[in-house]
Amino acid sequence: MSEPLPLAPVTADPLVVHPLLEERRPDAQLGEALLRPVLTAPGMGWWALVGVCAALTVLLAVAITITFVTGVGVWGNNIPVAWAFGIINFVWWIGIGHAGTLISAILLLFGMKWRSSVNRMAEAMTLFALVCAALFPLLHLGRPWKFYYLVPYPSSLRMWPQFRSPLTWDVVAITTYLTVSVLFWYLGLLPDLATARDTAKQPWRRRVWGLLSLGWRGSARHWRHWRTGYLLLAGLATPLVVSVHTIVSFDFAVSQLPGWHSTIFPPYFVAGAIFSGLAMVLSLLIPARRALHLHAVVTQAHLDALARLLLVSGLFVAYGYVQEHFFGWYSGNPYEMHAMNILRTGPYAPAFWTVFACNVLVPQLFWSARLRTQPVVLWCAALLVNVGMWLERFIIIVSPLSEDFLPASWRHYAPTWVDLSLLSGTVGLFGLGFLLFLRFLPPVPISEVKELQHELEASEAFAHDVSAREGGAR
Amino acid sequence: MSRWVLGEFRTPERMVAAARALRASGFLRLEAHTPYPVEDVDAVLGLSGSRLPLLALLAGVGGAAGAYVVQWFTQAVDWPLNVGGRPLHSGPAFIPITFESAVLAAAGAIFLGVIVACGLPRVTHPFLDLEAFRSASIDGFWLAVAVDGSEGVDAAEGALRQLGAAVVLAVEGRR
Repeated sequence: MSEPLPLAPVTADPLVVHPLLEERRPDAQLGEALLRPVLTAPGMGWWALVGVCAALTVLLAVAITITFVTGVGVWGNNIPVAWAFGIINFVWWIGIGHAGTLISAILLLFGMKWRSSVNRMAEAMTLFALVCAALFPLLHLGRPWKFYYLVPYPSSLRMWPQFRSPLTWDVVAITTYLTVSVLFWYLGLLPDLATARDTAKQPWRRRVWGLLSLGWRGSARHWRHWRTGYLLLAGLATPLVVSVHTIVSFDFAVSQLPGWHSTIFPPYFVAGAIFSGLAMVLSLLIPARRALHLHAVVTQAHLDALARLLLVSGLFVAYGYVQEHFFGWYSGNPYEMHAMNILRTGPYAPAFWTVFACNVLVPQLFWSARLRTQPVVLWCAALLVNVGMWLERFIIIVSPLSEDFLPASWRHYAPTWVDLSLLSGTVGLFGLGFLLFLRFLPPVPISEVKELQHELEASEAFAHDVSAREGGAR
Repeated sequence: MSRWVLGEFRTPERMVAAARALRASGFLRLEAHTPYPVEDVDAVLGLSGSRLPLLALLAGVGGAAGAYVVQWFTQAVDWPLNVGGRPLHSGPAFIPITFESAVLAAAGAIFLGVIVACGLPRVTHPFLDLEAFRSASIDGFWLAVAVDGSEGVDAAEGALRQLGAAVVLAVEGRR
């Protein structure tokens, strides 16, 4: 051959083990298959899960009512452990949200094609996790009806919020994160809401989705602005997601407490957030994939990629643990050393070694390519990581507080039934939100998967073409 | 009252080729409606780039400036509270809120910008009344030619048929 061949992505690449789409279908069939969860009646399993989650949500409402009527004294918090569950759950839930933004925004900027099938579910998870997270600081205020004191408004008290305090930074970070996540999610949904409107048969469905899709017609002008806007929002969400957990870690790192006052905290918190969020994505995605028969679009390639990310972020977290303990020892400061020693050998040792097993040892399974594509193994590992990450937040918050400088003021902590109800209640609220999302909105981005299918077909046709030409030349 | 002639093509490649041919034969007021963004269509239709990035930059800078001014005014001017002798105008402590506000303002502007630039929300449109046009969000690739008068309609219908449109429809309504 005299002319040089252009380089093309060849999908028949022997290095690609698992395809991104298991089968090719005409666009109309593909769209209908992806809309089946919202267009058909839900099964018994869905109703059973909704029942369980609704019951837990009722428990949450009861616990909140008791907290409001009596006061935060019904919680297990004491002095010195004044933070406890309210802040543990807040940090845990907000961290879970981070993986949704990682998948939807950061992977979009990196041009990772596999995000297309899973980003909608991951973003929905982010939203519901943030709702659960935002609840806890409000409850922890003690007088939540005065939350507006945190907003700078000209009041007759002639006072302003203290903006040098990380707690006011938190307020802005969380409201921004929640708002940007909602906007990003809704903008991504617009084309699919239009597809749902045009696929639905019943007039009421057409009307509801017609209103929600705001009159989207998929014109070239629409797509041009939509793509630019979507990419810009992804570009903004990327530094945002890093900043949010950094600011959350400032709540601890800016204080003087041994065990908290450390520069490793911001990166360590961001890594932990993404790690726990990936575990939650896997915990939700694997059952949803099975129940909604999404095997054709959420393939082993997706499980493999998520497992790799879980392993990598797990290694970051492990590095954070090593550094934290190294800093404690290297400081030579008796208080810092004590804060770390009580984790390894003191009253918090059982929790610490459980954390170590769940967050450091379990992800090492995924060095094995075979285990990375085993849904059952992945799901169990993800649940263990969820537990491990919650416990990690528990020991980060409770252990330095309970044994600080003055042994006379040491006191340990135990949660009450109200604390435990609030935690399990938010799990129920989160699950309920996610189940309703699966039922009423397209769970897989339809237009993105169609575009991906078209791209894959075009590159295959091109590769076929090239190899035919090569064969002819020989 | 505006008039359009709509033609449906089965693949994006055929639609782009048809758009190119239509523009070459003098139909300049073209619009494409597709289930997913199609490469090349912007260039063929002669659409310029979106100006949303500039809007985002302005909103972001505005948000940052606003947040910094609020923090400086409340902490250093209106209620100068001495905390352990630290400076009243403590710039580094104002960075997190300044950054978050920049992101919030820019994201809000981008979202509203997309909505306004696309002419949304608009729940009724003459195209949306057509049963056949439903495929525009499913598997049909539509070209809309804006025309004047009935001779324009005939010419556009003929051109679209000749280019291989599977369905050709004339529509009338408010733009």
